[in-house]
Parts: sequence; C-alpha cells; structure tokens
Amino acid sequence: MSRIHRVCGFALSALLAGAALSANPTLVGKPAPDFVLKSMDGRNLRLSEFRGQVVLVNFWARWAGDSRQELPALDRINTTYNRAGLVVLGVSVDEDARRAREFADAMKLGFPILFDTMSDIGRDYLIEKMPMTILVDRSGVVRYVNAGFKRGDDRTYLDQIRELLRE
Amino acid sequence: MNSKHRIVSIMLRGGVLAFAWALSAGSPAAAADAAPPPPAAAVAATQLEAAPAAAAPAGDQAPAEFKTLDQEVQGMKKDVIDLNKDLFVLQEELLFPANTQVAVYVSMDVGAFFALDSVTLKIDNKEVKNYLYTAREAEALLKGGVQELYLGNLKVGKHELVAFFTGKGPVERDYKRGATITFDKGVGAKYLELKITDRVTKHQPEFKIKDWE
Repeated sequence: MSRIHRVCGFALSALLAGAALSANPTLVGKPAPDFVLKSMDGRNLRLSEFRGQVVLVNFWARWAGDSRQELPALDRINTTYNRAGLVVLGVSVDEDARRAREFADAMKLGFPILFDTMSDIGRDYLIEKMPMTILVDRSGVVRYVNAGFKRGDDRTYLDQIRELLRE
Repeated sequence: MNSKHRIVSIMLRGGVLAFAWALSAGSPAAAADAAPPPPAAAVAATQLEAAPAAAAPAGDQAPAEFKTLDQEVQGMKKDVIDLNKDLFVLQEELLFPANTQVAVYVSMDVGAFFALDSVTLKIDNKEVKNYLYTAREAEALLKGGVQELYLGNLKVGKHELVAFFTGKGPVERDYKRGATITFDKGVGAKYLELKITDRVTKHQPEFKIKDWE
C-alpha cells in the first residue's frame, strides 16, 4: 500500500472515529432547546434560568443499564464542581414516573431529577442512545453531546466541564 | 400601513443598513487598518521628522475619529434592533392576523392563598397550552408582571375557554380549580385575562377570566 493510501486510510478512520464519538452532531453549536419540567422535590425547573452557568443535562432511564453506573459518577462530579458553577440536571425519560422516582430515591442523588414522561424533551434533543449527556455552556449553547456511557467516560466529562468552566 | 408596505420598508431599511455597513468597512480608517504596514525604518524616519509638529494634532484627532466610529456603530446597532422589532411585529401580524387573533394573559394579585404551579388552557374542549411555572416566573407574576400565555387564531363566533389552575392552596394543600368563559369572537382581535386574586373574607384564592372588549 502506497504512502498516500495509508494517509487517506488513516484520515478516513480518524473521521469515522470522530463521528462516532461526537454522536448527534446536529445539536452541537446550537442553542440548547429550552424546557421546563417538574423535579422530584416538586419544583419546576427551566433550563434557560441557568444561563450563566455550565449545565450538564443527563437523559437517563431505569431500563438503561449504563445509567446505573453513570448516575453515581455524575453525583460525584456534581459534589465537586457545583460550587464552581456547574449545574447537573438528570432527566428521566421513563414513562412510569413513580418507578423512576423510586429508582432515583434509591440512588440518593444530590442533583435535581426531572421527569419527561411524555418524552417531548427527549425528542427535542434527538436522543439516539441512552443514557445521553449534554453539556451546555454559559451562553446556553450545546457544546458536547455524549451518547451512551462506559467506564472512564466520566473523565471525558471532567475535561469537557473544566474547559467550559474556564470560559 | 399594510403588510406589503411594511415588508418593502423593512427590505429598504435592511438594504440601507447593509450599504452603510459596507461604507464604514471601506472608510479611510478601515482602509488604513487593511493597508500593509510600511517598512519599519521608513516609519521611524517619518516619525522623527514629523513628531514635533504633528504629535499634538494627531493625538487629538485619533480619539475624535474613534468617537465618530463608535457613534456610527451605536447608531447601526439601534437600527438593527428597530429592524428586528419591526420584523417581529410583522411576523405576529402575518401569523396571527387581527381578525382571527386570540390572546390569553395571566396576572396574579397578592397570592397569599395560592402558589401557582401550572395552568392548562382548553379552547372548545381542545388543550392548547399547558404551562409549568418556575419559582422565578411565579414571583414575577406576584410582582405585577403580566404573562402572555397563549396566542392563537380562532374563527368568528362563539367559543368556550376553560382554564385549570394547579398549585398550593391555603395550608400548603394541593389545589386545583377551573374557570370557564364563553365568549364571542368578533372581527377584531380578542384579549382575555386569567386573573388570580385573593378573596380575603373566605381565605381562598379566586380565579376569574376577564374579557377585554
């Protein structure tokens, strides 16, 4: 194989890898679709009211096995970076809000859990894979979309969060 | 002025703005910015010769130029904002023409007996709006704010509007109440106001719908 072929092959594989990592590229760089949802403690929370802070929106579901690993990791991130201006919002897309509430209760999470039982918000965010973690910068623009969760992804989130907090 | 005239006026103003922008980009100041820098030695020599005579006037001129440029930019910004406002009004007029327009507003007075959580609006038995209030929004209403809850189109004739209010009533109890109004939609726009007030004698909130003629 010639050198040109090798370079082309490498570039193509890098492109494909990039595309796989940044799933849902259509949202990145665009204003985050606004939503207002009821939280577990009864308050209604609106995303646009957190303008000026970095917001991590995590869409999760009881049936998505990876959510069980990801939610405690997000709780740790929230504990560390909450004072630095990070807001973590967990959005449950479970149709059964009662069971989702029980699930979240058992996890003892320190950040607000919201319920999108009609999946309206999930549609706006073009969810392809669960769980999905979206990072919104201080001006309300989607900067990172992370689909799925595997061990070590929380480190990637930390890098992304630190970058946005520094801006 | 009708819609066609407005569109033409907006397009003309947009064109004038673009022209002004292009002019300012091509102004001597901008051209000086874009011009390639002269050789350093030549600059130094020119500066040495011209320094005693030209230093004072140049120092005065530069801030004045900046001031004029700044004023121009501010003027353009204002024009853009005006243009944006006109476009918004035009959009509203086109999407919701006055002869079919129905607007519903929400206002709240006192609120000692009711903490608003959500309002569901039904027109002719069809749900048209379901709005959840955050603590900030409820507070804004309590401070005298009026919210445009719904803007839509309706045919001329009789219609029924039902509003359901949910929240916390007296003694922190869950509270849900409804209010209904039947109104005649004429040729002009129709404005309705959902009013939440306190009935002090009964220690209860009161929900009314006012038809603004």
